[in-house]
Amino acid sequence: MTRASVVGAGMTKFGVHDTPMQELFGEAAFAAFDDAGVGPDEVEALYFGNAMGGQTENVTHLGPQVATHVGLAGKPVQRYEDACATSANAFKNAVEAVESGRHDVVLAGGVERCTPETGLDTDAMTRIFASASHRQYEQPTGLTFPAVFALLTKRHMHEHGTTEEQLAHVAVKNHGHGSLNPKAHFGKETTVEEALDGPVVADPFRLMDCCPFSDGASAVVVVSDDLADSFDAPVDVTGVGHATDVVPLADKDTPHVTQAARDAATTAYDQAAVTADEVDFAEVHDCFTGAEVLASEALGLVEDGQGGIAAAEGRTRRDGEMPINASGGLKAKGHPIGATGTAQIVELTKQLRGTAGDHQLSGVECGVAHNLGGDAATTVVSVMEGRA
Amino acid sequence: MSAQDDIELPETLSYHDWAAAVREGQLLGQSCNDCDHVGGVPSGACQECGGRDLTTVELPTTGTVYTETTINVPPEGFQERGYQVVVVDLGDARVMARIVGEHVDIGDDVSLSGFIDTDDDHPAPTFEPDD
Repeated sequence: MTRASVVGAGMTKFGVHDTPMQELFGEAAFAAFDDAGVGPDEVEALYFGNAMGGQTENVTHLGPQVATHVGLAGKPVQRYEDACATSANAFKNAVEAVESGRHDVVLAGGVERCTPETGLDTDAMTRIFASASHRQYEQPTGLTFPAVFALLTKRHMHEHGTTEEQLAHVAVKNHGHGSLNPKAHFGKETTVEEALDGPVVADPFRLMDCCPFSDGASAVVVVSDDLADSFDAPVDVTGVGHATDVVPLADKDTPHVTQAARDAATTAYDQAAVTADEVDFAEVHDCFTGAEVLASEALGLVEDGQGGIAAAEGRTRRDGEMPINASGGLKAKGHPIGATGTAQIVELTKQLRGTAGDHQLSGVECGVAHNLGGDAATTVVSVMEGRA
Repeated sequence: MSAQDDIELPETLSYHDWAAAVREGQLLGQSCNDCDHVGGVPSGACQECGGRDLTTVELPTTGTVYTETTINVPPEGFQERGYQVVVVDLGDARVMARIVGEHVDIGDDVSLSGFIDTDDDHPAPTFEPDD
């Protein structure tokens, strides 16, 4: 069932930007406005994501600042912080707002700056990223985010025999995809040999297993089902599932199954009345190569334990049976934390309209976005379909 | 307080109780009186059923490595590189810890060996491999 429709989508190139956050967000928001053919007068509210501006740039209360910059001063703005799932959470609330009739037309999006342009080096940014782990029961061990997903992936490797070479295939695939996407942070292909030769960040992850620090913004115009037909190119949101899991990681029942993703996917598929078999493509949260393996299984796109094998065999490549991260994913497209969730929605929208350009997939009618936060203790899964 | 047997288990387990116990060589968790779930760190309600009738329990100080990683790019505030962080399975519950001594693999037997408190005086338990 259609819960809402996306009628406009925009994003900056992800990468390194020496640009203040309101200006980055403005570029994405104006692109979304222009794509939808709306002006700020018609937009009733902003659902805005930014995860770390207080820590990285001494900027809080960013909602009205960015709203002012895009001509929405006076409108209600709600700002979301949910680690890497920040703007998927904003999007979920935007969908609910137009579905419930509270609003008819809203803007959802997010912005983040994570590169050294913030003035913060790798050690400092690694500590800020680690703030999404438990302050008392995890951070004191010296845990980092690569390490969080390394802990999950190592257990998956132990139970299913997933190999470092299979993980490297995820990186190679997503870099290949990213080379076709002009918005991607990395436009360069890589090889399994190069990936396996990189320095270890947190084993089993080497440099090429890890997404980069990126700057960027993304935004989508979300309207009610009733209004959608008055726009040129609506794409329907037919399901949004949102679930959480126990924190800290050690207390999760079976950490590497990423239960929140499974619960969110079940909800989203039920709402959309689709099964995993009917999904044509997916954008999943590949902050690390192992995270894509876990996500592909949690969403039911690949059998449990087969995520690494599927990547190595090319089944999840853009020309495979289940294309995953045709945009390049977080791995190659980049991961400006608060912009990632709605950037996935931008990608789904463009693919389902058939306007993704060089990285367009053929014949896709149903796409899934999977955006997680923290140690996957938050996951939002969205299903989008071309409007019938 | 010298011997860990002298520590009286708090009725309601707080972070400060847990941290003080780690400094004394003891791991405290909570057992739910409604569903018997055991949590490895203090919580206001049972992680499984939400019940608030929890009893503080002393967790074993030996276990097996559930998963592990070695971190070569540390966060600011941690000077060394190449340290190993593990999740230890203690039977009823699990706990995250630092390894001191030899590298361990999943399934290895380990024992509580002390703590580190390099992070703003927040203690993290340390384990070492059994011989």
